[in-house]
Amino acid sequence: MESRIKKLSEQMASGQVSCLELTKAYLEAMEKDNQKINAYVRFTPETALETAKRVDRKIASGEPLLPLEGIPMTLKDNISTKGIETTCCSKILTGYVPIYDATVWELLQKQNAVLLGKTNMDEFAMGSSCETSCFGGALNPHDTSRVAGGSSGGVASAVGGNLAVYGLGSDTGGSIRQPASFCGLTGLKPTYGAVSRYGLIAYASSFDQIGPITQSVEDAAIVYDAISVYDEKDSTSRGKVNAPVCESLKNSIKGRKIGIAKEYFNGIRDDVNSAIQNAIKVFESLGAQIVYFDMPSLKYSLPVYYILACAEASSNLGRYDGIRYGYKTDHYADRNEMVCKTRNEGFGKEVKRRILLGTYVLSAGYYDAYYKKAQNLRGELVKAFEDAFQKCDVMLAPTVPMTAFPLNFTAKDAVETYQTDICTVPVNIAGLPAVSIPCGFDAAGLPIGMQLIGNRFCEATILNVAHQYEIATDGQMFRTAEMGVKL
Amino acid sequence: MVTHEDILNIANLAKLSVSPEELDELTKDMNEIIGFANTINDACPQATDFDNINGLSNAFREDIVVPSYDREEILKNAESQDEGYFLVKKRM
Amino acid sequence: MTKYELVCGLETHIELATKTKIFCSCTTEFGGDPNTHCCPICIGLPGTLPKLNKRVVEYAILAGLATNCEISRISKIDRKNYVYPDLPKAYQISQYDMPLCKNGWVELSNGRKIRLTRIHIEEDAGKLVHQRGNTYVDYNRGGVPLIEIVSEPDIRSIDEAKEYLEKLQLIMRFIGVSDCKMQEGSMRCDVNISVRPVGSKEFGTRTEIKNMNSFAHMAKAMDYEINRQIDLLESGEKVVQETRRYNEEEDCTESMRGKEDAHDYRYFREPDLVTIQVSEEMISELKKKLPELPQQKAKRYMEELGLPEADALLLTQYRRISEYFEAAIKGVKNPKTVANCMIGQMFSRLEGDGAKENFAVKVTPENLNALVRLLDEGKIRMNLLKATLEKMLDTGKAPSELISESDMGGLDPDALRAACEQAIAANQNAVSDYLGGKEKALKAILGAVMKATRGRADAIEAEKLLVQLIKK
Ligand SMILES: [Mg+2]
Ligand SMILES: [Zn+2]
Repeated sequence: MESRIKKLSEQMASGQVSCLELTKAYLEAMEKDNQKINAYVRFTPETALETAKRVDRKIASGEPLLPLEGIPMTLKDNISTKGIETTCCSKILTGYVPIYDATVWELLQKQNAVLLGKTNMDEFAMGSSCETSCFGGALNPHDTSRVAGGSSGGVASAVGGNLAVYGLGSDTGGSIRQPASFCGLTGLKPTYGAVSRYGLIAYASSFDQIGPITQSVEDAAIVYDAISVYDEKDSTSRGKVNAPVCESLKNSIKGRKIGIAKEYFNGIRDDVNSAIQNAIKVFESLGAQIVYFDMPSLKYSLPVYYILACAEASSNLGRYDGIRYGYKTDHYADRNEMVCKTRNEGFGKEVKRRILLGTYVLSAGYYDAYYKKAQNLRGELVKAFEDAFQKCDVMLAPTVPMTAFPLNFTAKDAVETYQTDICTVPVNIAGLPAVSIPCGFDAAGLPIGMQLIGNRFCEATILNVAHQYEIATDGQMFRTAEMGVKL
Repeated sequence: MVTHEDILNIANLAKLSVSPEELDELTKDMNEIIGFANTINDACPQATDFDNINGLSNAFREDIVVPSYDREEILKNAESQDEGYFLVKKRM
Repeated sequence: MTKYELVCGLETHIELATKTKIFCSCTTEFGGDPNTHCCPICIGLPGTLPKLNKRVVEYAILAGLATNCEISRISKIDRKNYVYPDLPKAYQISQYDMPLCKNGWVELSNGRKIRLTRIHIEEDAGKLVHQRGNTYVDYNRGGVPLIEIVSEPDIRSIDEAKEYLEKLQLIMRFIGVSDCKMQEGSMRCDVNISVRPVGSKEFGTRTEIKNMNSFAHMAKAMDYEINRQIDLLESGEKVVQETRRYNEEEDCTESMRGKEDAHDYRYFREPDLVTIQVSEEMISELKKKLPELPQQKAKRYMEELGLPEADALLLTQYRRISEYFEAAIKGVKNPKTVANCMIGQMFSRLEGDGAKENFAVKVTPENLNALVRLLDEGKIRMNLLKATLEKMLDTGKAPSELISESDMGGLDPDALRAACEQAIAANQNAVSDYLGGKEKALKAILGAVMKATRGRADAIEAEKLLVQLIKK
């Protein structure tokens, strides 16, 4: 897959297309096609057009363009944008207009990124289908009877539906990689701390990480290089630790050790499994060496993730009380009732379930059995990955055990839905980077994804391996959806 | 086993009002979810000194004043305000 | 009748004198129009993150060093979850099981040591104003740094509680980490109280009286609560473990437990902040900054300088005062003279604690030193010293500008006699008043003598002579 970002940047620089023309093409396509997929919950044409004009003036003056300059893009609706409503697709934040910018958005504005709008998501990023959004879910551009995935479903839907060149999502338990996989895209979840969380509306603070969803690995690398910057506002930020990842994409992967933990393959669908087996053959043909091992502690990933993430969420979401911002109930008898009713009316069912679970596992009498124990298991999982990366350079695993769900699949049973996150949550627990890339199609033509997992701050390694796979398969794993801007 | 009373207790801590209609469903959901969480019961993890995931320490700020925001901005998103205060009316 | 003894421990919250809040760069200045010292971080806007003020850590460690605490090499920060409108994030960032300082003590004048369990750092909440049932919220105080000093239940009387708190106040002011103004809320405490029969080893059930903001209220509240608990026990009832508040108007304590506040703070590690690691270097750097503490200083003033205890305590009340004193006594024969100047004439010009704390007088310690040296060298007498000090306090001038050569040295006996005779002649009314029994009238005549001699006369000598001359 060639880089869309690079191509458009070259076309603008050489005068083949102006940034304003490009931006207008996207805005028009959004007017026409967004209703089919519900990717965007808010358009921002004013800021987009204003930025486009600024970029065109810069081109006219002969100044060279920065890598993301003038490229039309989108942000998930949990990334704070000053002056632009940001709701996490929750009723409780309706009407909330941030008075400050998230650090990633500050960085992108310095590059004159063209923001087309804010994209759909599961309410507060809690979900795997985007259907817990108060705006209704985003649909899969490859088949609108299916979900785009979640929680960054809107970003994947927009990028997959050619309504944005790239977008930033957030990944707490798979929320970038899973929708990227469902929509046939590249989704990078960076190492915890590589990208500043300042301005990202928190779901689970020790898991959340912002990253790109793009149509190619090289695009993901370009965006990652732009946003992985140390931020003094985020105490957990380290920024990029190594050289820019773009520099090493072309390296040969001959002799690279690709590790496979068999636990990742328990209960995955056959077509997903065989797509990955084919990918293994491709890697072998590129001279990589496949190593197999066991990681028994992986079986605890899901409960550990849900216990810890919900505990943090119950605390992070305590602040929505109707006093300082957001929704406030109309009728109440006293202040306590005001807060309780506001929260009950403002939060959706899944969010309430997770708040209750989180409150429960932290409460007196249950803390040791759940929260503390899960925290200790988290420590063991961190160690298990450390051991694994003694044996290999990257790990290969399915992204999701299946392809895109039909609509309403996730509404039936909370626990069954949680199980679909089985392959994505381990890296969030351990704070590791992982990239999901398309590796085949199911019988219905829906994309299948696989993920490459790296050691801490080894984004360059996983993106290099992913890019080499993309080249070796000659872009055959990517299909563009029949909508949006045609380039 | 999570009881109705447990749910009401944690809902009170979490400041969520639970209607009698919601109570049954929530109790059922929570029992399933807690049952799922109980799958860690058989694990005997070592007590790890689990730190923040990147093992960082001492992220400090210098004690230098930066001008605060205009009050208009601070109050901008409040549903109700009066004389520069956030306001919660007694009842509505 | 059974005799009871008090068992009491204090949790003291002290606002640190940093320039900025604990997790954002807003000012900590007291007052200000509501919500004008605020930013997205301290009003808890979604997506904001805290960043710890380094000085808060340094001040807390200084507080720990000054109260004989162990400083934790590794400590962590936690969230204490509860929903209340003054807490914009619905959790207070605090420390739970790994506080910055542990196991210290403060010594009382009776020699007893009150052990400190811990000192931890945390953020203050905002302010609520209740009017006609409406709640008005101001977050200016929200995020101001606090240390919470928790004592063991070692306090056995109301006087000990007061002295303990005074000692803390003195130490914290001295090391400069807080102004500890109870009336402005920069020092406040919760009192844990139980009683038990004298001789009993077990603790009784305790209650906690929240948020005492003056010494007087604390003493009254404790007195009421001790008697309440004794009455309960005497009548065979039980003390209920609960939080109570002091009602000023009724002068009593009352239960605070409402049906809504089930307290389960669900502490867990604050994931937005990282571990605090305190190195040996950091501790030794801070130790260097630690001044000699008031108690040690007072002891030294008494032992080495021969000051009476009362003077020593007054001069060690604030750091500025003791620094001034120590600069002013350099090379003087009798430090007590300097102490007298400061405690007498200088203190009388300073109204209130704030003025004393800043010790803003026009006289430099060098000038006071020079003045006292003139006395030491016999060049001036005490009354001229006092008169000159008044002028110095008014003008800020050096003694050399105010005392001429001719002023120095005493009057010879002939000149004194002449001055007295002149004063008697010029004040015949006062003389007859005096002879008529009004002792005070003599002062007026003496004043005239002092004025005529521009203070050079020895007042005691002059008075003796006047009496002699009048009675003659
Ligand atoms: Mg406290
Ligand atoms: Zn602030």
